[in-house]
Amino acid sequence: MKNLIISKSELLKLLDELIQKGNEVIAPVKQGNFTNFCPIRSPKEIIWGPPQTVIPPKQYLYPQSEELLAYEFGASGPQVRGENVVKERILFGIHPCDLNGIQQMDWVWSEKNLDENYLEKRRAVTLVGVDCLVPCSLDSICSRMGGLDPKGRFDLFLTDLGKDFLVEVATEKGEKLIKGLGKAVAAASKQKLTKVRKERNLVFNKKQKKLLPKLKDLPKLMKASQNHPLWEEHGEKCYACGSCNMVCPTCYCFDVQDYMHVSLARGVRNRFWDGCMLEDFAKVASGENFREDRSERLRHRTYRKLNYLFDKWGESFCTGCGRCIKACLTKIVSPLEIANEAYEKKRK
Amino acid sequence: MKTIYTPEMANVNKVIPQTEKETLFEIELSERKTLGHKPGQFVQVSVFGVGEAPISVSSAPAPDRATFELCVRRVGNVTGALLDSKPGDKIGIRGPFGNGFDLNYFKGKDMLFIAAGLGLVPLRSFIQEVLGHRAGYGRVYILYGCKNPQELLFKQELESWEGMEGIQYLNTVDIADDKWMGNVGVITTLIPKIDFDPGKTQAVIVGPPIMYRFVIKELIARRLPEKNIWVSLERKMKCGVGKCGHCQMNQLYVCQDGPVFNLSKIRNIPEAV
Repeated sequence: MKNLIISKSELLKLLDELIQKGNEVIAPVKQGNFTNFCPIRSPKEIIWGPPQTVIPPKQYLYPQSEELLAYEFGASGPQVRGENVVKERILFGIHPCDLNGIQQMDWVWSEKNLDENYLEKRRAVTLVGVDCLVPCSLDSICSRMGGLDPKGRFDLFLTDLGKDFLVEVATEKGEKLIKGLGKAVAAASKQKLTKVRKERNLVFNKKQKKLLPKLKDLPKLMKASQNHPLWEEHGEKCYACGSCNMVCPTCYCFDVQDYMHVSLARGVRNRFWDGCMLEDFAKVASGENFREDRSERLRHRTYRKLNYLFDKWGESFCTGCGRCIKACLTKIVSPLEIANEAYEKKRK
Repeated sequence: MKTIYTPEMANVNKVIPQTEKETLFEIELSERKTLGHKPGQFVQVSVFGVGEAPISVSSAPAPDRATFELCVRRVGNVTGALLDSKPGDKIGIRGPFGNGFDLNYFKGKDMLFIAAGLGLVPLRSFIQEVLGHRAGYGRVYILYGCKNPQELLFKQELESWEGMEGIQYLNTVDIADDKWMGNVGVITTLIPKIDFDPGKTQAVIVGPPIMYRFVIKELIARRLPEKNIWVSLERKMKCGVGKCGHCQMNQLYVCQDGPVFNLSKIRNIPEAV
C-alpha cells in the first residue's frame, strides 16, 4: 500500500478527463429525493457524503437482472449461445461498508464453482473508495459491525483532508488510474490524517447505536438464540416484502427464469435478485414450503449475516450500512437490534 | 462463454409411461460418453423456453453408457413441459450435482431401503447398483409405500425384486382399491415386518418431508444407530452449484453438502427434517 497526497482539483480534473475520454465512471448522484450509483458526465454530479444510496453499488457487478444464456430454436432443435459483454468501469465514491460488501461478494462468487457472470464484471472494475467522516444516517451501524474500516479492499481510497485527498493506493490498477499524480505524504498531512480519523471514530462511536455483545461473539450468540421469542415477535410484524434483501450489499440469492421471444424462435434465461424473506423463497413446486413462517425467514436472513457466513469467512456479513434498517417498513430487521435483544434476554 | 449455468445438449431417447402423473425418460448426452453420476445425485434439466428444474437420476451409474434415466412427476412448469416431450426432443442437462451415496462406504453391508412415493426415484439408482453387484452387499430389504396402487412406479421391476434371493421386498399403500391384496397402511407399518440386524444394517430413507421423522423414530426404536441412517432431502433449487441460496437449510446447502445426509450429521440442523 502506498499513500499519496493529491489536491482535490487535480483529482477531479483527472476524473473529468477520464469521462471525456469515454471511460464509464459510476458514482453516487442525486436522483429525485434519493441518491443512486449512476454513470456520471461530470465529477460535479458526485454526492460525496450522505445521504447514502438506496441501492448499493453491487448492482454493477451483480445486476438486478442479467442474462445467463440465450438460445435459438433451429431446425435441429435449440442451440445455446452465450456472450457476455463486459465493460471496463470505474466505480467511484464507494463507502467502506460497500467496499467490504464487495469483498464478501468476491469470496462467495469465487468459492468452489466460479461464477463468471459476476467475476468477469468484477475484474473489469476499478474500485475507488471514499472515507466516511460522519455517519450517513442514524440507521447506519458500520462502526459496530466492522464495516467502517475498508481493510484495504479497494484500488484507491480517498480521505478528505480539506484542500487535498489522502489517496491510499492498494493495487496496480489503482496506480494506473492516477497515472503519476500526487506527491509524497508530508508529516503535516500524516498528522492531519490521524486527527481526521480520530475525530471520525469519536463521532461514529457517539452517534451510532451500541452493539451490546462483542462483534466476534455474534455467531455463538445467534446459535444459542435459535428458539428465542424475538423471532416470533419480530416476525409477526414482518410484511415479507423483501425490501431488506433488495437493498443489502451482501444479499446475493437469485431466481432464474426463461423468457421466450414473441417469435418463439429464441429465448433467454435470466437470473434476478431473489429474497429469502419472500414467501415463496423455499417453496417447491409440490407446494411444500420449507420456511413457511415469517419468523423463520427473518431468523434465516439474520443467521446468514451474523452466523453462517460470519462463521465461514470470519467476519460479519452485515457491514452495517443501515440500508435494511431504513427500508424496513415495520422496523424489525436491524441485525444490531436483533443481536442486542438476543443478548439482553439471554442475560436475564 | 461457457459458464457454470450453461447446460449441455441431450436427447430424449425414450418416453416410458409410468402412472397418470409420472413418466420415465431415457436421456442421452450429445457430447459426453457418460453422465458419470453416483446414486443419489441429481441433474438440472432444461426445457428451453420454459426453465430448469432439479431432477434425481433414477438409473444406476453406467460408466460405459451415455444414457441415463429420469423419472418425472408433473408438478410445475418445467416438469409439465418435460412430460409433454417426445422421443427425439432436445433438452439441456447440467450436472450431476450433489454428493450422492459413497458406494465404497456401503460395500459389504446389509442394506435397508425405505422409499415413500417419489422417493423411490432417487433410491432406484442405488437399489439397481446394489442388485447389479449383489455379491458386494449383505442382506437387502426394500420397503416401498405410496398413496394408492395406481401410484406404484416401476411395476415390472418391483415384481422382479419379489422373487430375488437374499432380498426382502415389501410394499404398502395408504388407501387400497378393490384389486389390492397387499399391505395397507403408511410406510412405518412395514418396519415391524422385517427382522434386520441393527449392527450390520445401513438404512437409506427417501420420501416426502413428512415421512422422515416417523420412519427415523421407528428405526431408532429398533436400535439402529443414527450413524447407520441416511436420508436424501428435497429442497427448492435454482442453480445446483451452491450460489442461488434456495436449498439452504441452516448453514448447509443441500445441492452441495447433500442431498444425501447421514442422520448424525444433521442432528443439529433444525431446518433439516
